[in-house]
Amino acid sequence: MATPVPVLRLPKGPDPNSRGFDPNSPRFIALCRTSISSSAASESDSEQLQKEQHARSVLREGFLRCLLSMTNKKVQFQMYENVKVEATFGASDIDVLNFQVSDLHTPIGVQKEALIRCQDVISFTFDI
Amino acid sequence: MDCDWPLLGPLRWLHYVNKQVKVRTGKGDEHSGWLLSVDPVSASAVLLTFSETAASVRVVMGHAVKEVEVLREADEVTAERLRAALLPPSPPSLDPEELRRRRGGVRRWLQENRVPVEEQGEQLTVAGVLTITAPYTAEDCSSSNQIILDRIQRLIRTQN
Repeated sequence: MATPVPVLRLPKGPDPNSRGFDPNSPRFIALCRTSISSSAASESDSEQLQKEQHARSVLREGFLRCLLSMTNKKVQFQMYENVKVEATFGASDIDVLNFQVSDLHTPIGVQKEALIRCQDVISFTFDI
Repeated sequence: MDCDWPLLGPLRWLHYVNKQVKVRTGKGDEHSGWLLSVDPVSASAVLLTFSETAASVRVVMGHAVKEVEVLREADEVTAERLRAALLPPSPPSLDPEELRRRRGGVRRWLQENRVPVEEQGEQLTVAGVLTITAPYTAEDCSSSNQIILDRIQRLIRTQN
């Protein structure tokens, strides 16, 4: 299973005009089904908003550290239709919509570099 | 039922952190583990499971979470292990004399390279925008200016 499969067509890149968590960027609207914005209650209460933003940054930092510890490690992806693939994790994009991986082992061969859509992934696991 | 797990929000998610939970995805699949964090952007849950020798992490994507059930709280020992799980290993602490020597060495190297650097107590400040804290390695530089950060990091790396 070591024959590399050539890339037939490169995926479309991200919109160069949008950065960050902009919920109005066309990419975010097109790809993110549920936009997780701040709760309605916190909009009126600034103390609540502060607490929510603090919670948000603590949670995001934890998640980013998890992604960091995953780089260059072998990760097993469980996807829909009972598909399980293994790859070496490279990077994620900021909205957690795509993962860049290397050496993706698929039933038709090994893809040297690939982008995995997060909507297709149920869960993924790795050892630390 | 938590079909609206992605809509709970950071404050509710924070309640689940550091607890042992069972996450159900569709089709009866269950994953249990200690909840390390929930990504506020994608609502993905990061679960940690310990085995005798190692630990493994499973991240369940937010859109796939059907239900989250709390099993139990973490005790002191587990809570400490969870906190330390994702942090990078802390460097061994050096004595003040060694730190002073290293600080002086880094400062001299930067000055030789015509970089405006000042010593401010335990820290080095470069051009007023970048700070280097103990133990003055490339990883200890912090700045909001990406270009200066990159340059100074490269310089410090080539010193050793």
